[in-house]
Amino acid sequence: MALTDQQGKTPVAWRPSLTGLASGVGAPFISLGFVLLLWTLVGLSGAIPEAIFPAPWSVWSATVEMWQNGTLPNDLKVSLSRAAIGFGIGASLGIFLGLMTGRVVVVRTLLNPFLNLLRPIPAIALVPVAIVWFGIGEGSKYFVVSYTVFLTVWFNTHHGMQYVPETYLRAARSLGASRFREFATVIIPAAAPHIFAGIRLGVALAFLSLIAAELSGASSGLGFRLQEARQYIRTDRMFSLLIILGILGASFDYLVNRLGQKLVHWEQA
Amino acid sequence: MADAIPQVGRVEIDDLVIRFNTKQGEMTALEKTALTLEPGTFTALIGPSGCGKSTLMNAIAGFVDPSAGQIRLDGQAVTGPSKDVGVIFQQYALFPWFTAIGNVRFGLKQMGLSQAEELERAHAALEEVGLSAHADKFPQQLSGGMKQRVAIARTFAVGPKVLLMDEPFGALDAQTRISMHSLLLDVWQKHRATVLFVTHDVDEALLLADDVRVMSQAPGRLIRHYSMTQQRPRAFSTSGPELLEIREEILGLLRPRETANEH
Repeated sequence: MALTDQQGKTPVAWRPSLTGLASGVGAPFISLGFVLLLWTLVGLSGAIPEAIFPAPWSVWSATVEMWQNGTLPNDLKVSLSRAAIGFGIGASLGIFLGLMTGRVVVVRTLLNPFLNLLRPIPAIALVPVAIVWFGIGEGSKYFVVSYTVFLTVWFNTHHGMQYVPETYLRAARSLGASRFREFATVIIPAAAPHIFAGIRLGVALAFLSLIAAELSGASSGLGFRLQEARQYIRTDRMFSLLIILGILGASFDYLVNRLGQKLVHWEQA
Repeated sequence: MADAIPQVGRVEIDDLVIRFNTKQGEMTALEKTALTLEPGTFTALIGPSGCGKSTLMNAIAGFVDPSAGQIRLDGQAVTGPSKDVGVIFQQYALFPWFTAIGNVRFGLKQMGLSQAEELERAHAALEEVGLSAHADKFPQQLSGGMKQRVAIARTFAVGPKVLLMDEPFGALDAQTRISMHSLLLDVWQKHRATVLFVTHDVDEALLLADDVRVMSQAPGRLIRHYSMTQQRPRAFSTSGPELLEIREEILGLLRPRETANEH
Protein backbone atom coordinates (compact mmCIF):
# COMPACT_ATOMS: atom_id res chain seq x y z
CA MET A 1 0.00 0.00 0.00
CA ALA A 2 2.95 2.31 0.55
CA LEU A 3 3.48 2.21 -3.19
CA THR A 4 0.07 3.75 -3.69
CA ASP A 5 0.92 7.06 -2.07
CA GLN A 6 4.05 7.54 -4.08
CA GLN A 7 2.26 6.72 -7.29
CA GLY A 8 -0.55 9.16 -6.64
CA LYS A 9 1.37 12.27 -5.70
CA THR A 10 4.49 13.14 -7.59
CA PRO A 11 6.87 14.65 -5.06
CA VAL A 12 7.36 18.13 -6.47
CA ALA A 13 10.10 18.96 -3.97
CA TRP A 14 12.46 16.52 -5.68
CA ARG A 15 12.49 18.33 -8.97
CA PRO A 16 15.27 20.81 -8.36
CA SER A 17 17.82 18.13 -7.40
CA LEU A 18 16.83 15.36 -9.82
CA THR A 19 15.43 17.34 -12.72
CA GLY A 20 14.35 15.35 -15.74
CA LEU A 21 14.09 11.88 -14.24
CA ALA A 22 12.08 13.05 -11.28
CA SER A 23 9.49 14.90 -13.33
CA GLY A 24 6.05 13.36 -13.81
CA VAL A 25 5.60 9.61 -13.99
CA GLY A 26 9.32 8.89 -13.59
CA ALA A 27 9.49 10.00 -9.96
CA PRO A 28 8.28 6.81 -8.23
CA PHE A 29 10.81 4.75 -10.19
CA ILE A 30 13.71 6.66 -8.67
CA SER A 31 12.49 5.73 -5.23
CA LEU A 32 11.91 2.12 -6.25
CA GLY A 33 15.34 1.93 -7.88
CA PHE A 34 16.93 3.22 -4.71
CA VAL A 35 15.17 0.60 -2.56
CA LEU A 36 16.07 -2.12 -5.06
CA LEU A 37 19.71 -1.05 -4.85
CA LEU A 38 19.70 -1.28 -1.05
CA TRP A 39 17.98 -4.64 -1.22
CA THR A 40 20.61 -5.92 -3.68
CA LEU A 41 23.41 -4.74 -1.40
CA VAL A 42 21.85 -6.55 1.55
CA GLY A 43 21.53 -9.67 -0.58
CA LEU A 44 25.17 -9.46 -1.77
CA SER A 45 26.45 -8.95 1.76
CA GLY A 46 24.83 -12.19 2.90
CA ALA A 47 24.07 -10.64 6.28
CA ILE A 48 20.57 -12.14 6.47
CA PRO A 49 19.89 -15.82 5.58
CA GLU A 50 18.11 -16.27 2.23
CA ALA A 51 15.33 -18.29 3.87
CA ILE A 52 14.39 -15.29 6.01
CA PHE A 53 15.04 -12.41 3.63
CA PRO A 54 15.60 -13.55 0.04
CA ALA A 55 17.71 -11.50 -2.37
CA PRO A 56 16.12 -9.79 -5.41
CA TRP A 57 17.42 -12.41 -7.87
CA SER A 58 15.92 -15.27 -5.80
CA VAL A 59 12.56 -13.51 -5.79
CA TRP A 60 12.83 -12.98 -9.54
CA SER A 61 13.57 -16.67 -10.21
CA ALA A 62 10.69 -17.69 -7.92
CA THR A 63 8.43 -15.45 -9.99
CA VAL A 64 9.65 -17.01 -13.24
CA GLU A 65 9.18 -20.47 -11.73
CA MET A 66 5.59 -19.76 -10.67
CA TRP A 67 4.86 -18.23 -14.06
CA GLN A 68 6.28 -21.21 -15.96
CA ASN A 69 4.55 -23.91 -13.90
CA GLY A 70 1.27 -22.13 -14.59
CA THR A 71 0.25 -21.35 -11.01
CA LEU A 72 0.87 -17.61 -11.22
CA PRO A 73 -1.16 -16.94 -14.39
CA ASN A 74 -4.00 -19.00 -12.97
CA ASP A 75 -3.85 -17.38 -9.52
CA LEU A 76 -3.84 -13.95 -11.11
CA LYS A 77 -6.84 -14.80 -13.24
CA VAL A 78 -8.76 -16.27 -10.32
CA SER A 79 -7.97 -13.48 -7.85
CA LEU A 80 -8.59 -10.67 -10.31
CA SER A 81 -11.93 -12.04 -11.36
CA ARG A 82 -12.97 -12.53 -7.72
CA ALA A 83 -11.96 -8.99 -6.90
CA ALA A 84 -13.69 -7.62 -10.00
CA ILE A 85 -16.96 -9.47 -9.44
CA GLY A 86 -17.02 -8.71 -5.72
CA PHE A 87 -16.19 -5.08 -6.38
CA GLY A 88 -18.85 -4.80 -9.10
CA ILE A 89 -21.58 -6.16 -6.85
CA GLY A 90 -20.47 -4.17 -3.80
CA ALA A 91 -19.94 -0.86 -5.58
CA SER A 92 -23.22 -0.90 -7.49
CA LEU A 93 -25.18 -1.82 -4.36
CA GLY A 94 -23.29 0.79 -2.38
CA ILE A 95 -23.97 3.59 -4.86
CA PHE A 96 -27.61 2.61 -5.23
CA LEU A 97 -28.27 2.41 -1.51
CA GLY A 98 -26.19 5.53 -0.83
CA LEU A 99 -28.36 7.50 -3.23
CA MET A 100 -31.44 6.11 -1.48
CA THR A 101 -30.35 6.73 2.12
CA GLY A 102 -29.05 10.12 1.01
CA ARG A 103 -32.38 11.35 -0.28
CA VAL A 104 -35.20 9.12 1.01
CA VAL A 105 -35.94 9.71 4.68
CA VAL A 106 -37.75 6.39 5.20
CA VAL A 107 -34.85 4.35 3.81
CA ARG A 108 -32.36 6.39 5.82
CA THR A 109 -34.29 5.90 9.06
CA LEU A 110 -34.60 2.16 8.48
CA LEU A 111 -31.05 1.43 7.36
CA ASN A 112 -28.49 4.00 8.48
CA PRO A 113 -28.10 3.03 12.14
CA PHE A 114 -27.79 -0.64 11.17
CA LEU A 115 -25.27 -0.01 8.39
CA ASN A 116 -23.21 2.22 10.66
CA LEU A 117 -23.14 -0.60 13.20
CA LEU A 118 -21.78 -2.97 10.56
CA ARG A 119 -18.99 -0.66 9.44
CA PRO A 120 -16.57 -1.25 12.34
CA ILE A 121 -16.62 -5.05 11.87
CA PRO A 122 -13.33 -6.02 10.16
CA ALA A 123 -13.73 -7.88 6.88
CA ILE A 124 -11.47 -10.70 8.11
CA ALA A 125 -13.89 -11.43 10.93
CA LEU A 126 -16.52 -12.25 8.32
CA VAL A 127 -14.49 -14.96 6.63
CA PRO A 128 -15.57 -17.81 8.96
CA VAL A 129 -19.23 -16.91 8.50
CA ALA A 130 -18.76 -16.59 4.74
CA ILE A 131 -17.22 -20.08 4.60
CA VAL A 132 -20.10 -21.60 6.55
CA TRP A 133 -22.62 -19.89 4.30
CA PHE A 134 -20.96 -20.21 0.91
CA GLY A 135 -18.23 -22.86 1.26
CA ILE A 136 -14.59 -22.38 0.26
CA GLY A 137 -15.44 -21.77 -3.40
CA GLU A 138 -16.10 -18.54 -5.24
CA GLY A 139 -19.24 -17.64 -3.31
CA SER A 140 -17.53 -16.84 -0.03
CA LYS A 141 -14.94 -14.64 -1.80
CA TYR A 142 -17.59 -12.69 -3.67
CA PHE A 143 -19.45 -12.24 -0.42
CA VAL A 144 -16.53 -10.95 1.63
CA VAL A 145 -15.28 -8.61 -1.10
CA SER A 146 -18.65 -7.21 -2.10
CA TYR A 147 -19.66 -6.72 1.53
CA THR A 148 -16.51 -4.74 2.31
CA VAL A 149 -16.70 -2.67 -0.85
CA PHE A 150 -20.41 -2.09 -0.38
CA LEU A 151 -20.06 -0.54 3.08
CA THR A 152 -17.30 1.85 2.04
CA VAL A 153 -18.98 2.94 -1.18
CA TRP A 154 -22.34 3.28 0.56
CA PHE A 155 -20.87 5.42 3.32
CA ASN A 156 -19.09 7.79 0.95
CA THR A 157 -22.05 8.08 -1.40
CA HIS A 158 -24.40 8.77 1.48
CA HIS A 159 -21.99 11.32 2.88
CA GLY A 160 -21.71 13.05 -0.51
CA MET A 161 -25.50 13.25 -0.79
CA GLN A 162 -25.66 15.05 2.55
CA TYR A 163 -23.38 17.80 1.29
CA VAL A 164 -25.15 18.75 -1.92
CA PRO A 165 -25.21 22.56 -1.58
CA GLU A 166 -28.70 23.87 -0.91
CA THR A 167 -28.13 26.65 -3.48
CA TYR A 168 -27.85 24.08 -6.28
CA LEU A 169 -31.22 22.62 -5.35
CA ARG A 170 -32.79 26.05 -5.08
CA ALA A 171 -31.36 27.09 -8.44
CA ALA A 172 -32.60 23.88 -10.07
CA ARG A 173 -36.11 24.22 -8.66
CA SER A 174 -36.51 27.88 -9.53
CA LEU A 175 -35.49 26.98 -13.09
CA GLY A 176 -38.45 24.61 -13.16
CA ALA A 177 -36.48 21.35 -13.07
CA SER A 178 -38.48 18.20 -12.39
CA ARG A 179 -37.55 16.07 -9.40
CA PHE A 180 -36.04 13.49 -11.72
CA ARG A 181 -33.90 16.00 -13.60
CA GLU A 182 -32.80 17.51 -10.32
CA PHE A 183 -31.75 14.09 -9.05
CA ALA A 184 -30.00 12.95 -12.21
CA THR A 185 -28.28 16.14 -13.30
CA VAL A 186 -27.79 18.10 -10.08
CA ILE A 187 -27.72 15.85 -7.01
CA ILE A 188 -25.70 12.99 -8.49
CA PRO A 189 -23.03 15.20 -10.10
CA ALA A 190 -22.81 17.27 -6.91
CA ALA A 191 -22.18 14.08 -4.92
CA ALA A 192 -19.91 12.54 -7.56
CA PRO A 193 -16.58 13.60 -6.01
CA HIS A 194 -17.52 11.79 -2.80
CA ILE A 195 -18.83 8.78 -4.69
CA PHE A 196 -15.51 8.57 -6.51
CA ALA A 197 -13.56 8.81 -3.28
CA GLY A 198 -15.61 5.83 -2.09
CA ILE A 199 -14.90 3.89 -5.26
CA ARG A 200 -11.18 4.53 -4.92
CA LEU A 201 -11.21 3.27 -1.35
CA GLY A 202 -13.40 0.38 -2.47
CA VAL A 203 -10.82 -0.77 -5.03
CA ALA A 204 -8.12 -0.88 -2.35
CA LEU A 205 -10.41 -2.68 0.06
CA ALA A 206 -11.44 -5.20 -2.59
CA PHE A 207 -7.86 -6.50 -2.70
CA LEU A 208 -7.42 -6.33 1.04
CA SER A 209 -10.53 -8.33 1.82
CA LEU A 210 -9.99 -10.76 -1.05
CA ILE A 211 -6.54 -11.72 0.23
CA ALA A 212 -7.97 -12.03 3.73
CA ALA A 213 -10.60 -14.42 2.40
CA GLU A 214 -8.12 -16.42 0.31
CA LEU A 215 -5.61 -16.81 3.14
CA SER A 216 -8.00 -18.99 5.11
CA GLY A 217 -10.19 -21.20 3.04
CA ALA A 218 -9.35 -21.26 -0.64
CA SER A 219 -7.73 -23.63 -3.10
CA SER A 220 -6.46 -21.08 -5.60
CA GLY A 221 -5.68 -17.39 -5.86
CA LEU A 222 -2.81 -15.18 -4.76
CA GLY A 223 -3.81 -15.32 -1.09
CA PHE A 224 -3.98 -19.09 -1.13
CA ARG A 225 -0.54 -19.25 -2.80
CA LEU A 226 0.91 -17.04 -0.05
CA GLN A 227 -0.48 -19.39 2.56
CA GLU A 228 0.90 -22.36 0.66
CA ALA A 229 4.34 -20.72 0.43
CA ARG A 230 4.33 -20.37 4.20
CA GLN A 231 3.85 -24.11 4.62
CA TYR A 232 6.95 -24.77 2.48
CA ILE A 233 8.80 -21.78 3.98
CA ARG A 234 9.28 -20.34 0.48
CA THR A 235 9.96 -16.70 1.41
CA ASP A 236 11.11 -16.05 -2.16
CA ARG A 237 7.63 -16.90 -3.42
CA MET A 238 6.02 -14.87 -0.64
CA PHE A 239 8.07 -11.82 -1.57
CA SER A 240 7.19 -12.30 -5.21
CA LEU A 241 3.48 -12.50 -4.41
CA LEU A 242 3.62 -9.49 -2.10
CA ILE A 243 5.33 -7.41 -4.76
CA ILE A 244 2.76 -8.50 -7.32
CA LEU A 245 -0.04 -7.47 -4.94
CA GLY A 246 1.63 -4.09 -4.45
CA ILE A 247 1.97 -3.50 -8.17
CA LEU A 248 -1.62 -4.56 -8.83
CA GLY A 249 -3.00 -2.33 -6.07
CA ALA A 250 -0.98 0.68 -7.14
CA SER A 251 -1.90 0.25 -10.82
CA PHE A 252 -5.60 -0.01 -10.12
CA ASP A 253 -5.49 2.95 -7.79
CA TYR A 254 -3.72 4.97 -10.47
CA LEU A 255 -6.25 3.99 -13.13
CA VAL A 256 -9.26 4.71 -10.93
CA ASN A 257 -7.80 8.04 -9.94
CA ARG A 258 -7.22 9.00 -13.57
CA LEU A 259 -10.74 7.95 -14.47
CA GLY A 260 -12.08 10.00 -11.56
CA GLN A 261 -10.21 13.09 -12.70
CA LYS A 262 -11.75 12.68 -16.16
CA LEU A 263 -15.30 12.12 -14.95
CA VAL A 264 -15.30 14.64 -12.10
CA HIS A 265 -13.23 17.19 -14.02
CA TRP A 266 -14.67 20.22 -12.21
CA GLU A 267 -13.43 19.15 -8.79
CA GLN A 268 -9.67 19.67 -9.03
CA ALA A 269 -8.26 20.63 -5.69
CA MET B 1 -41.29 51.84 -23.18
CA ALA B 2 -44.64 52.06 -21.37
CA ASP B 3 -46.49 49.85 -23.85
CA ALA B 4 -43.93 47.09 -23.30
CA ILE B 5 -44.88 46.74 -19.64
CA PRO B 6 -46.65 43.41 -19.19
CA GLN B 7 -49.63 42.76 -16.99
CA VAL B 8 -48.19 39.62 -15.45
CA GLY B 9 -45.80 39.39 -12.57
CA ARG B 10 -47.76 41.12 -9.82
CA VAL B 11 -46.45 40.05 -6.42
CA GLU B 12 -48.72 40.64 -3.46
CA ILE B 13 -47.40 40.09 0.03
CA ASP B 14 -50.08 40.08 2.71
CA ASP B 15 -49.12 40.39 6.36
CA LEU B 16 -46.25 37.98 5.89
CA VAL B 17 -44.43 36.81 9.02
CA ILE B 18 -41.46 34.44 9.00
CA ARG B 19 -40.21 32.73 12.13
CA PHE B 20 -37.49 30.14 12.47
CA ASN B 21 -36.96 27.57 15.17
CA THR B 22 -33.45 27.90 16.51
CA LYS B 23 -31.66 26.38 19.49
CA GLN B 24 -32.49 29.52 21.46
CA GLY B 25 -36.17 29.03 20.66
CA GLU B 26 -38.34 30.74 18.11
CA MET B 27 -36.81 33.68 16.29
CA THR B 28 -38.68 36.21 14.17
CA ALA B 29 -36.78 36.83 10.95
CA LEU B 30 -39.42 39.00 9.35
CA GLU B 31 -42.04 41.09 11.15
CA LYS B 32 -45.50 41.45 9.66
CA THR B 33 -44.84 42.80 6.16
CA ALA B 34 -47.20 43.95 3.43
CA LEU B 35 -45.87 44.85 0.01
CA THR B 36 -47.07 44.83 -3.58
CA LEU B 37 -44.71 44.70 -6.51
CA GLU B 38 -46.38 46.00 -9.66
CA PRO B 39 -45.82 44.11 -12.91
CA GLY B 40 -42.61 45.04 -14.66
CA THR B 41 -41.26 47.28 -11.90
CA PHE B 42 -37.78 47.26 -10.43
CA THR B 43 -37.72 47.37 -6.64
CA ALA B 44 -34.58 47.51 -4.56
CA LEU B 45 -34.73 46.22 -1.00
CA ILE B 46 -32.06 47.65 1.22
CA GLY B 47 -31.26 47.08 4.86
CA PRO B 48 -28.51 46.18 7.31
CA SER B 49 -27.07 42.64 7.28
CA GLY B 50 -29.27 40.07 8.94
CA CYS B 51 -32.37 42.28 8.81
CA GLY B 52 -34.44 39.66 7.02
CA LYS B 53 -34.29 41.00 3.47
CA SER B 54 -32.95 37.70 2.16
CA THR B 55 -35.61 35.89 4.16
CA LEU B 56 -38.30 37.92 2.45
CA MET B 57 -36.74 37.10 -0.91
CA ASN B 58 -36.50 33.40 -0.06
CA ALA B 59 -40.18 33.41 0.86
CA ILE B 60 -41.17 34.96 -2.48
CA ALA B 61 -38.98 32.40 -4.24
CA GLY B 62 -40.86 29.64 -2.42
CA PHE B 63 -37.77 28.41 -0.57
CA VAL B 64 -39.16 29.31 2.85
CA ASP B 65 -42.75 28.83 4.02
CA PRO B 66 -44.61 31.75 5.59
CA SER B 67 -45.36 31.40 9.31
CA ALA B 68 -48.34 33.70 8.81
CA GLY B 69 -49.75 35.67 5.91
CA GLN B 70 -49.54 34.90 2.23
CA ILE B 71 -47.61 35.62 -0.95
CA ARG B 72 -49.46 35.65 -4.25
CA LEU B 73 -48.14 35.82 -7.77
CA ASP B 74 -50.83 37.07 -10.18
CA GLY B 75 -53.46 36.00 -7.67
CA GLN B 76 -52.06 32.49 -7.13
CA ALA B 77 -50.56 31.62 -3.74
CA VAL B 78 -46.85 30.81 -3.91
CA THR B 79 -46.36 27.32 -2.48
CA GLY B 80 -42.86 26.46 -3.69
CA PRO B 81 -40.19 27.33 -6.23
CA SER B 82 -41.26 27.56 -9.88
CA LYS B 83 -39.82 28.85 -13.11
CA ASP B 84 -42.19 31.83 -12.91
CA VAL B 85 -39.98 33.20 -10.17
CA GLY B 86 -36.34 33.33 -11.26
CA VAL B 87 -33.57 33.73 -8.72
CA ILE B 88 -30.05 35.13 -9.10
CA PHE B 89 -27.78 34.20 -6.22
CA GLN B 90 -24.76 36.08 -4.91
CA GLN B 91 -22.61 32.96 -5.33
CA TYR B 92 -23.92 32.44 -8.91
CA ALA B 93 -25.10 28.85 -8.26
CA LEU B 94 -23.91 27.72 -11.67
CA PHE B 95 -23.52 23.97 -12.01
CA PRO B 96 -19.77 23.37 -12.38
CA TRP B 97 -20.31 20.10 -14.29
CA PHE B 98 -22.07 21.95 -17.13
CA THR B 99 -20.52 24.44 -19.55
CA ALA B 100 -21.94 27.95 -19.79
CA ILE B 101 -24.36 26.86 -22.49
CA GLY B 102 -25.10 23.64 -20.61
CA ASN B 103 -26.19 25.73 -17.64
CA VAL B 104 -28.53 27.78 -19.82
CA ARG B 105 -29.92 24.62 -21.45
CA PHE B 106 -30.61 23.09 -18.04
CA GLY B 107 -33.57 25.41 -17.53
CA LEU B 108 -34.78 25.12 -21.13
CA LYS B 109 -34.89 21.31 -20.93
CA GLN B 110 -38.16 21.42 -19.03
CA MET B 111 -39.92 23.33 -21.79
CA GLY B 112 -40.36 20.53 -24.33
CA LEU B 113 -38.38 22.23 -27.09
CA SER B 114 -36.67 20.42 -29.95
CA GLN B 115 -32.89 20.03 -29.62
CA ALA B 116 -32.30 22.64 -32.31
CA GLU B 117 -34.69 25.14 -30.77
CA GLU B 118 -33.25 24.60 -27.31
CA LEU B 119 -29.73 25.18 -28.57
CA GLU B 120 -30.79 28.25 -30.51
CA ARG B 121 -32.49 29.82 -27.51
CA ALA B 122 -29.55 29.04 -25.26
CA HIS B 123 -27.17 30.70 -27.72
CA ALA B 124 -29.47 33.71 -28.02
CA ALA B 125 -29.55 34.05 -24.22
CA LEU B 126 -25.74 33.98 -23.99
CA GLU B 127 -25.53 36.42 -26.89
CA GLU B 128 -27.72 38.83 -24.95
CA VAL B 129 -25.23 38.94 -22.07
CA GLY B 130 -22.25 39.09 -24.45
CA LEU B 131 -20.89 35.63 -23.76
CA SER B 132 -21.33 33.84 -27.10
CA ALA B 133 -17.58 33.34 -27.33
CA HIS B 134 -17.49 31.54 -23.97
CA ALA B 135 -20.42 29.16 -24.48
CA ASP B 136 -18.31 26.03 -24.13
CA LYS B 137 -16.31 27.10 -21.10
CA PHE B 138 -16.94 25.66 -17.67
CA PRO B 139 -17.89 28.09 -14.86
CA GLN B 140 -14.52 27.67 -13.15
CA GLN B 141 -12.87 29.02 -16.32
CA LEU B 142 -14.91 32.24 -16.14
CA SER B 143 -14.45 35.39 -14.05
CA GLY B 144 -16.98 36.34 -11.37
CA GLY B 145 -18.70 38.88 -13.62
CA MET B 146 -18.93 36.35 -16.46
CA LYS B 147 -20.38 33.74 -14.12
CA GLN B 148 -23.08 36.12 -13.02
CA ARG B 149 -23.83 36.94 -16.66
CA VAL B 150 -24.30 33.24 -17.37
CA ALA B 151 -26.63 33.05 -14.37
CA ILE B 152 -28.62 36.03 -15.69
CA ALA B 153 -28.86 34.43 -19.14
CA ARG B 154 -29.89 31.09 -17.60
CA THR B 155 -32.65 32.71 -15.55
CA PHE B 156 -34.07 34.99 -18.25
CA ALA B 157 -34.02 32.12 -20.78
CA VAL B 158 -36.90 30.35 -19.04
CA GLY B 159 -38.99 33.55 -19.09
CA PRO B 160 -39.68 34.23 -15.40
CA LYS B 161 -42.44 36.68 -14.52
CA VAL B 162 -40.56 37.74 -11.42
CA LEU B 163 -36.81 38.01 -10.95
CA LEU B 164 -35.33 37.94 -7.46
CA MET B 165 -31.73 38.96 -7.02
CA ASP B 166 -29.96 38.40 -3.72
CA GLU B 167 -26.97 40.76 -3.58
CA PRO B 168 -26.07 39.54 -7.06
CA PHE B 169 -23.05 41.78 -7.54
CA GLY B 170 -21.84 41.74 -3.95
CA ALA B 171 -18.84 39.55 -4.76
CA LEU B 172 -17.69 41.64 -7.75
CA ASP B 173 -15.20 44.48 -7.91
CA ALA B 174 -16.44 48.05 -8.40
CA GLN B 175 -15.58 48.25 -12.10
CA THR B 176 -17.29 44.96 -12.98
CA ARG B 177 -20.26 45.97 -10.86
CA ILE B 178 -20.84 49.11 -12.92
CA SER B 179 -20.84 47.21 -16.19
CA MET B 180 -23.14 44.58 -14.66
CA HIS B 181 -25.60 47.34 -13.74
CA SER B 182 -25.99 48.53 -17.30
CA LEU B 183 -26.12 44.96 -18.59
CA LEU B 184 -28.86 44.11 -16.11
CA LEU B 185 -30.90 47.18 -17.04
CA ASP B 186 -30.56 46.34 -20.75
CA VAL B 187 -31.67 42.75 -20.33
CA TRP B 188 -34.44 43.70 -17.92
CA GLN B 189 -35.82 46.34 -20.28
CA LYS B 190 -36.03 43.67 -22.98
CA HIS B 191 -37.79 41.07 -20.80
CA ARG B 192 -39.61 43.30 -18.32
CA ALA B 193 -39.89 40.85 -15.47
CA THR B 194 -40.86 42.27 -12.08
CA VAL B 195 -37.54 42.66 -10.27
CA LEU B 196 -36.83 42.55 -6.56
CA PHE B 197 -33.20 43.39 -5.98
CA VAL B 198 -31.80 42.79 -2.50
CA THR B 199 -28.68 44.75 -1.64
CA HIS B 200 -26.94 46.52 1.19
CA ASP B 201 -25.32 48.99 -1.19
CA VAL B 202 -27.33 52.22 -1.15
CA ASP B 203 -25.77 53.55 -4.37
CA GLU B 204 -26.63 50.41 -6.27
CA ALA B 205 -30.25 50.62 -5.13
CA LEU B 206 -30.59 54.30 -6.10
CA LEU B 207 -29.00 53.86 -9.52
CA LEU B 208 -31.08 50.87 -10.57
CA ALA B 209 -34.54 50.82 -9.03
CA ASP B 210 -37.96 52.40 -9.62
CA ASP B 211 -38.77 51.85 -5.97
CA VAL B 212 -36.37 51.73 -3.09
CA ARG B 213 -37.62 50.06 0.09
CA VAL B 214 -35.65 50.33 3.29
CA MET B 215 -35.78 47.69 6.01
CA SER B 216 -35.04 48.12 9.70
CA GLN B 217 -32.59 46.08 11.73
CA ALA B 218 -33.68 42.62 12.83
CA PRO B 219 -36.40 41.62 13.17
CA GLY B 220 -36.93 43.26 9.83
CA ARG B 221 -39.82 45.36 8.69
CA LEU B 222 -40.20 47.92 5.90
CA ILE B 223 -39.66 51.40 7.26
CA ARG B 224 -39.30 53.70 4.25
CA HIS B 225 -40.27 53.84 0.59
CA TYR B 226 -38.77 56.07 -2.11
CA SER B 227 -40.14 56.32 -5.65
CA MET B 228 -37.37 57.07 -8.08
CA THR B 229 -38.36 59.04 -11.15
CA GLN B 230 -34.94 59.98 -12.52
CA GLN B 231 -34.15 58.86 -16.06
CA ARG B 232 -31.83 55.88 -16.47
CA PRO B 233 -28.93 55.54 -16.77
CA ARG B 234 -28.45 57.43 -13.54
CA ALA B 235 -25.33 58.82 -11.97
CA PHE B 236 -24.85 60.84 -8.81
CA SER B 237 -23.09 63.52 -10.85
CA THR B 238 -25.86 64.02 -13.41
CA SER B 239 -29.19 62.86 -11.96
CA GLY B 240 -29.85 65.90 -9.80
CA PRO B 241 -29.28 66.73 -6.13
CA GLU B 242 -32.31 64.78 -4.94
CA LEU B 243 -30.47 61.51 -5.42
CA LEU B 244 -27.76 62.59 -3.02
CA GLU B 245 -30.32 63.76 -0.47
CA ILE B 246 -32.09 60.43 -0.51
CA ARG B 247 -28.73 58.71 -0.22
CA GLU B 248 -27.89 60.68 2.95
CA GLU B 249 -31.30 59.91 4.39
CA ILE B 250 -31.02 56.19 3.80
CA LEU B 251 -27.50 56.06 5.17
CA GLY B 252 -28.85 57.77 8.28
CA LEU B 253 -31.59 55.15 8.60
CA LEU B 254 -29.14 52.29 8.21
CA ARG B 255 -26.64 53.67 10.74
CA PRO B 256 -26.69 51.41 13.79
CA ARG B 257 -27.98 53.15 16.89
CA GLU B 258 -25.07 52.40 19.22
CA THR B 259 -26.60 53.89 22.33
CA ALA B 260 -30.04 52.36 21.99
CA ASN B 261 -29.42 49.26 24.09
CA GLU B 262 -26.96 50.59 26.62
CA HIS B 263 -29.22 51.08 29.62
